[in-house]
Amino acid sequence: MSGKIVAILVGCSLLAATVQAKDHPGKEYVLKNGYQGPKTCETCHPGKAREFLGTVHWKHASKVDHVDNINPNEEHGMKDRIYTMCNGNDIVNNLKEVPPNALGKTKFTGCNTCHPGDHTSDVGSTGPQAEQAIDCLICHSSKYDFSKRKAVKDKDGKVVMTQDRSTEAAANIGRPTIKNCMICHEAAGGGAMIKRGFSMAKDAEVHVTKGIICIDCHQVKNHKFPTGRDPNNWAHDGIYMTCVGECHSAKPHSDADYNRHTATIACQTCHIPKTGGAFSKDFTKWEKQSNGFYEPSTLKREVNETAPVYAWYNLTVSNTPHFIGPKGSRTDGKSKIYPFKIFQGKAYFNKKDGQLLSMDFAPPIANGDTLAGVASAARILGIKDYEPVPGWQTIYFGSNHQVTPKNKALNCANCHALNGVLNFKELGYSSKEVERLTNPELYFEKLLKLQQENE
Amino acid sequence: MKRIVSIVMLVALMVFSTLAFVQNASAEEAKMVGTISKIEMSADKKSATAILKDTKSGEEVTIIITDEQTLDKFMDKRIVEGDEIRCKYEKVDGKNNSKIFKKTAGC
Repeated sequence: MSGKIVAILVGCSLLAATVQAKDHPGKEYVLKNGYQGPKTCETCHPGKAREFLGTVHWKHASKVDHVDNINPNEEHGMKDRIYTMCNGNDIVNNLKEVPPNALGKTKFTGCNTCHPGDHTSDVGSTGPQAEQAIDCLICHSSKYDFSKRKAVKDKDGKVVMTQDRSTEAAANIGRPTIKNCMICHEAAGGGAMIKRGFSMAKDAEVHVTKGIICIDCHQVKNHKFPTGRDPNNWAHDGIYMTCVGECHSAKPHSDADYNRHTATIACQTCHIPKTGGAFSKDFTKWEKQSNGFYEPSTLKREVNETAPVYAWYNLTVSNTPHFIGPKGSRTDGKSKIYPFKIFQGKAYFNKKDGQLLSMDFAPPIANGDTLAGVASAARILGIKDYEPVPGWQTIYFGSNHQVTPKNKALNCANCHALNGVLNFKELGYSSKEVERLTNPELYFEKLLKLQQENE
Repeated sequence: MKRIVSIVMLVALMVFSTLAFVQNASAEEAKMVGTISKIEMSADKKSATAILKDTKSGEEVTIIITDEQTLDKFMDKRIVEGDEIRCKYEKVDGKNNSKIFKKTAGC
């Protein structure tokens, strides 16, 4: 790493430490007047609540122009999409109390459990009531008491999500920390680190080791978050980010050979060699848990236990009932090789039109009846003509976090040895090219020298 | 003399094997899913003990937690008594040291 980058990182860390150590200027006001929700925030930050209602974090949707078979003029996202990691969405799996199981137990569950509203003002809601329902503190407070955020029924029997609006939580606010982000982002897909399968712990992510937090890279402007280009991250705030920018140049290595690779190999390919989480689920067959509830059968690994697959990706997405993943090729002039976590999910498809059917989880959670879940979702969505048949869908998830330290990144031999991680033939290279690409002449001297230096 | 050396070697080998076995046995790994019946933070907040009631056997197991992330989840009540936990732990000298301590629930 160059001295300049080290200096920037140290500077960022010191600045972050200073900023974190400094109290929010409105602390005295909050302590004196208490906290009444977003209207207290708006005393000093007018317009921010309305602004937030226009973001992906509130709408769980946006116009999607990079995915096949999606109308680019409509808004889509977690709000309404169906795929086999979740097989449901905010509409069919709206937060609700599931029917009692065989033990007479019930519970609240839903895809929009993470939505930062109070459920009365839900995904995509607008207006003054929605503005006042925003849970600002869940993202901004370092003293949020999570036992105060839970689904309950109000006096009219409506399911509402309570919030911690205590003065203590409000008096301790600032820029969102890693913890604030991971409260929701680590729990998606059916448990901790199941969906994307990466950890943001200090010992797992080199940026975190150096004191860099989520929003140092995802630099938020007006509550709009820049995102990477995961083929499964459909909704976006209209801003994208890459590694190249303030911190890393397009030629970031001291080694010219490595720099030559950046034209065709994404940074993640070498610097994120492992991923984890769920790699297969079966929504047609749920497993009974010891508490009497059922969960979709899931094969999973710990973070860092799964080797990615590698594919050309031009940042557009193939989206068919049986495949969601990267489009691109060696020859299109736009693609680079990226790493992906491959996932395969089994669910019901409609024999009549071949489309993937959605599932309301309330019935199968209670009694394992998956077809009752499909029937309930069909009712909610107004689908009358369907015949459920089981089938599989393959999904490629972007592998964009859990960056490894430099000395653990892939080196020449990890790809160019005969047993390397890249399948050059599948990536579109001819037999002759593969022979050249896997010839030790390419790397032997360089790695020998490196080995001698390290001995 | 040769015989004495052989006996000494044999005894040494037996002691070494026994020690190796004991070390292995004392670092046994176990997994469980259980409901938290009690969480107790240490005074310095650098460790905690949690009692998990095994959902299969009903047996209560005391787990020692030292990783920062889980301790933080205890402190801000992201993990509370009554939550169901998937836990992997290492038994060392009669103590169960947590290696993985995660809530089973997710959205």
